[in-house]
Amino acid sequence: MRFIADLHVHSHYSRATSKDMCPEGIWKWAQLKGVTVIGTGDFTHPQWLKELDEKLEPQGNGLFSLKKEFQTNDVPGPCKADVSFILSAEISCIYSKNGKTRKIHSIILAPDLASAARINIALTKIGNLKADGRPILGLDAKELLKITLAEAPDSLFIPAHAWTPHFSVFGAASGFDSLEECFEELTPHIYAIETGLSSDPLMNWRLSALDRITLVSNSDAHSAPKIGREANILDTEISYPSIVNAVKTRKGFVGTIEFFPEEGKYHFDGHRDCGVSLAPKETIHYDYLCPVCNRKVTVGVMHRVDKLADREEGVKPEGAPGFQSIIPLPEIISEALKVGPSSKKVNAAYFSLLEKLGNEFKILLDIPLDDIERAGTPLIREAISRMRKGNVHIAPGYDGEYGKVRIFEEVERKEIKGQLKLL
Amino acid sequence: MHTADHILDGLNEAQKRTVTTTEGPLLVVAGPGTGKTLTIVRRIAHLVQQGVRPENILAMTFTNRAAREMQERAVSILGDTAVKIFIGTFHLLGLRILRDAGEEDFSIYDKDDQVELLKSLMKGSAKKAEQMAEQISRIKNFLDAADPEIQESYGAYQAALKQRNAHDFDDLIRLPIEMLENEDDAMAKYQERFQHIIVDEYQDINPAQYRLLKLLVGRSNNVCVVGDSDQAIYAFRGADLQNFLNFEQDFPGAARITLTENYRSTGVILSAADSVIKHNQKRIDKELTPVREKGAHLTVISVPDERTEGAAIIQEIEERMGGTSHYRMAQGSTGKGDPARSFGFSDFGVIYRTNAQAKALEEEFSASGIPYQVIGHKSSAQAKDTEETLIYLRSLISPNAATVTAAVYTDEAKLLGPADFFDPRANAVTLMTLHMAKGLEFPVVFITGCEDGLLPCRIMKHEVDLEEERRLYYVGMTRAKDELLLLHSRRRFLYGRKLSPAPSPFLAEIPGALIKCMVVPAKVKKQKEIDRQLGLF
Repeated sequence: MRFIADLHVHSHYSRATSKDMCPEGIWKWAQLKGVTVIGTGDFTHPQWLKELDEKLEPQGNGLFSLKKEFQTNDVPGPCKADVSFILSAEISCIYSKNGKTRKIHSIILAPDLASAARINIALTKIGNLKADGRPILGLDAKELLKITLAEAPDSLFIPAHAWTPHFSVFGAASGFDSLEECFEELTPHIYAIETGLSSDPLMNWRLSALDRITLVSNSDAHSAPKIGREANILDTEISYPSIVNAVKTRKGFVGTIEFFPEEGKYHFDGHRDCGVSLAPKETIHYDYLCPVCNRKVTVGVMHRVDKLADREEGVKPEGAPGFQSIIPLPEIISEALKVGPSSKKVNAAYFSLLEKLGNEFKILLDIPLDDIERAGTPLIREAISRMRKGNVHIAPGYDGEYGKVRIFEEVERKEIKGQLKLL
Repeated sequence: MHTADHILDGLNEAQKRTVTTTEGPLLVVAGPGTGKTLTIVRRIAHLVQQGVRPENILAMTFTNRAAREMQERAVSILGDTAVKIFIGTFHLLGLRILRDAGEEDFSIYDKDDQVELLKSLMKGSAKKAEQMAEQISRIKNFLDAADPEIQESYGAYQAALKQRNAHDFDDLIRLPIEMLENEDDAMAKYQERFQHIIVDEYQDINPAQYRLLKLLVGRSNNVCVVGDSDQAIYAFRGADLQNFLNFEQDFPGAARITLTENYRSTGVILSAADSVIKHNQKRIDKELTPVREKGAHLTVISVPDERTEGAAIIQEIEERMGGTSHYRMAQGSTGKGDPARSFGFSDFGVIYRTNAQAKALEEEFSASGIPYQVIGHKSSAQAKDTEETLIYLRSLISPNAATVTAAVYTDEAKLLGPADFFDPRANAVTLMTLHMAKGLEFPVVFITGCEDGLLPCRIMKHEVDLEEERRLYYVGMTRAKDELLLLHSRRRFLYGRKLSPAPSPFLAEIPGALIKCMVVPAKVKKQKEIDRQLGLF
């Protein structure tokens, strides 16, 4: 069965995370977005694990359902669907290796509560699991992988948002130049990396070292409406072993749904405080120093890929799944209506579309444009059409600042509106 | 096996003389960071190389941690033969002597067991029982008779131990002394066995340990004691610095070697520490020579209260590590890190005078998510919380597992401290008292509570041993390799009282030219406001 999976989110026990990231909220928004399998996030957190244990029930296949008594009645009819939870966590390893401070985030998927508990018991002796849903451990990422494999052999370990500058395995500020440098002889246990918002498969395909690696994409959502902003498309049975097997072998792993990488917060280089955004070439020209304040700029994902790549863009490795780039629907509506993406207007239009057409992924990826126009406006139709073709302008994100999406020039917007009046 | 040349490799002149002066009594004055453990281990290796049988060597350390380190280093030089050398604490030696004498099946009462027993005997409060335990311990460490007013309790306690077939820690020294004094054969046996004795941290030896040592040093008279009068910090436990100062009279013909080259700290740190300790009278004077560069200034940070003290430390750590999370980076409270240096959490040591100070610091660290460990004392609330979590997690693994409780300790394991239960792979900021800090080193050291009343500590006792307090401060300062940060709080809530303490007089003993000052103003934004401004990721 073909379905969408988002394997990396956070609970309300993580820093700067919304209260709506509770089992009920995740369940609801997974349906609105069209996500069938959703990570629980944060299984390392003792209270969150308890909450999951209380509100979820095992399906018997390594996945979980929200118990009936916790299901709410506020999901639009056409969006209603079954949601399966998969136990997931993210851990931040901060340590010193080969003369550099390393900060590596990793995702762990666990096959059952007992496995999650075993991992947690081992980690309790190493760090403080209670302060943050995404705990910080003073542990070598390789040691974390070793512990994970020892405590839960059926778990899956995935380096998170592998290219972001500050907290990732390839990050410019505190990462490594290769998976081998980080995981050494355990590298064969790394089957996948998460590409993160600021990179897409096209960029990752430039590294022949990643040819055997599955490129996965997840939302890393800290609030429910961000669920599924990136995700994976699978075509397997809905069960833990099948999902893990698909990620490991790419059999049944159809591909990913991606941000346009320019929209990610770390696509370009630059300095947010100084408002300086630089393409990699410009950064080199300025000798990695901010032209405004003269301090080191934050080197972004594009630059880092450039540095580690051993071939030009355009090569698609054999057997590599494809991908589709999207812009979140609220942003598209916001572009069409020319109001802020979190405004009431956008919100109303968003839910109106969902009521009429079904979940967000259906709208973005599948529903015929004519149907969208009928349910919405010609501007929304045109915006989605352009997004599907990749015909959008994005001012690249840098140093923590999201990229700015622009689908229409002002003149165009008037033109399309004008056509509407004539009809 | 190393050749004779290798054993002296890389040692300085004084260290070489320490290694090769094997006959007769020897006093080694070893300041902080002078390569003391390295030198002792090489001396042991040299003895073995010279044909001394490993089982004829006795090396006594002050802590199990030091013993383990010494053992590991000895094994790495000598191979498995090193395990035949007795390397351990006085208590471990005492335990072995009792076991050798056929006393097999007694149990050992640690501090908690002692207090528990006394509580039931005295039918009083835990505090009273604790005080009594301390008094009894003093009597045993000084080999004194009990004062008339506690005679009764002491007698009841000893009788109860006997009835339970138990010994307390202090008995592990006291009883072997009695045995050796009364049984000439036993004494001869051990004197025969231990031809070469090395005692580390000799300045902290108490009268009972001194007596045991005297009994063990036979006609061979090959006793090498290593110590530093400036690091004597256990007077409250009965340690007597006088033993160290009198060594050359006690063991006539003793040679003296002073290790002066310091490999640990920057010049500035050493110079500051030296300026402080020079104010003491009771010491063997020595001048430490830095091998390292001059280094950065000391930083003195004035904070409004004990909460901000923890927050300021966390911020300094974040700055050096370049931020531990996007969240903190977005708060703007972190720098970008120093690319020329590489930090792990275990590079930071946070030191305080009293355990009572740990609570506020621990709360800040706990909330920050930065991994930390407290050595020396268990915070009972935290331990309980962790235990509850573990019970729940075990119940998820197997429904019956929840009933499985604490592990069974062996007697020797009971002699180990709580720090030994941390996973050795864990990299964490270490929080500890000045007493627990001895023997450790960290690239970056924070000494908190640099206030009059805490340093020197005037809280527990009416009479302050100013020199001992200064030595404690000196021990703290000399733990630092690269950076030393001294914090003092303008207000402090301690033992249920609100204090407005003056800065520690020891701060004034550091030359101003070596110090850079920072003041954290009282008004800080509440965490909630910061959260609101940040928005969500």
